[in-house]
Amino acid sequence: MNRYLRFVLPAAIIVVVLGFLLVNLSASLVYYNTPAEVMELEPSDDRLRLGGRVVPDSVIDEGEQVVFEVQDCDTAITVVHTGVPPQLFQEGIGVVLEGVWTGTEFDSDTMLVKHDEQYRSDDEHYDTERHSCSES
Amino acid sequence: MTIGVEAETTESASRNWPWYTMGIAGVITLIASFTAPPDALQEQLSRILYVHVPAAWLAYLAFAVTMLASAMYLWRKTMVWDRIAASSAEIGVLLTGLTLVVGMIWGKSTWGVWWTWDARLTLTAIMFFVYLGYLALRRSTDDLVARARRSAILGVVAVGQIPLVHFSVIWWRGLHQTPSLAKPASVDMDTPMVITLFIAVAMFTVMYVAMMVKRVELARLEDALLEHDTAFDQPVAGDAVAAPKLAGGDA
Repeated sequence: MNRYLRFVLPAAIIVVVLGFLLVNLSASLVYYNTPAEVMELEPSDDRLRLGGRVVPDSVIDEGEQVVFEVQDCDTAITVVHTGVPPQLFQEGIGVVLEGVWTGTEFDSDTMLVKHDEQYRSDDEHYDTERHSCSES
Repeated sequence: MTIGVEAETTESASRNWPWYTMGIAGVITLIASFTAPPDALQEQLSRILYVHVPAAWLAYLAFAVTMLASAMYLWRKTMVWDRIAASSAEIGVLLTGLTLVVGMIWGKSTWGVWWTWDARLTLTAIMFFVYLGYLALRRSTDDLVARARRSAILGVVAVGQIPLVHFSVIWWRGLHQTPSLAKPASVDMDTPMVITLFIAVAMFTVMYVAMMVKRVELARLEDALLEHDTAFDQPVAGDAVAAPKLAGGDA
């Protein structure tokens, strides 16, 4: 019995710790917020992540800054990004931005381009509407 | 050293076939990767897929084999299952490491960062370190039976991470893309790319099997050597003089 416990106990502890971590970290496992979620927030200096698709024809390059809209489902939000966007940045592509929500716009200084699961040898095969609305 | 002599007298051709097989499989993977059409958006960078995805899938397979062999050890108590479990875990760690490194190169060029704490990335890193812990656990004792039993329990428990890693991209909104193939819905790759990916997965499977053959054989020799070395730890006076036995101690 003693010997049995010595090995089952660590295993049980591992399971409990992993379970605890998962339940408690579930919220932080969500990498970014949608425009709708961000717009519900009060303006603050807290840094957060915003994700969505770059709205076609909304990109204005102002040199130091790039202004564009990011949309998910029916909600779009204006983004003012300071810095040079990554190479793959283009209209219609998914992006995740890091910055602050001012109440009217999202001031971002870090941009990640989110590539989706489609591998196509030809541009025309891309389903551009695929990620226009996230389920959750 | 009878062990070394025994290994050396084996036919060199039959001993080396896993190396040749691995080399050929590796070359076929590279040729296939560079014949596939590039992705329209990612261009040449998309070729990383043919290493990243097979490495990740075979890491899953390797850890599943570790789980099965661990369970078999706990049931049958034969050392060969312990060696299979340990060998597969070691190759799994190697493949997970390859997945992470190759994925980071892709991430730097596509996302713009080497690393970020996205759910898939974080959970994969945890899986990597848990199985490194499994390998460390195996080095914590010279007692072959204790080592086998302890690592078998971890080998069974740790496999629970695989569904977590694989479905993390679906369960939590993340930066890493969702599966292109390993999902119930439609296939999201053009046919030549799917074929190339399947060739790469088949070749990685061949490499995994070849590595396993070599590693399990090495594990057998290691165990024999360890047993040989620890044989000298026996009491000088033999079994005639027994150490006082404490109550509740192990047999």
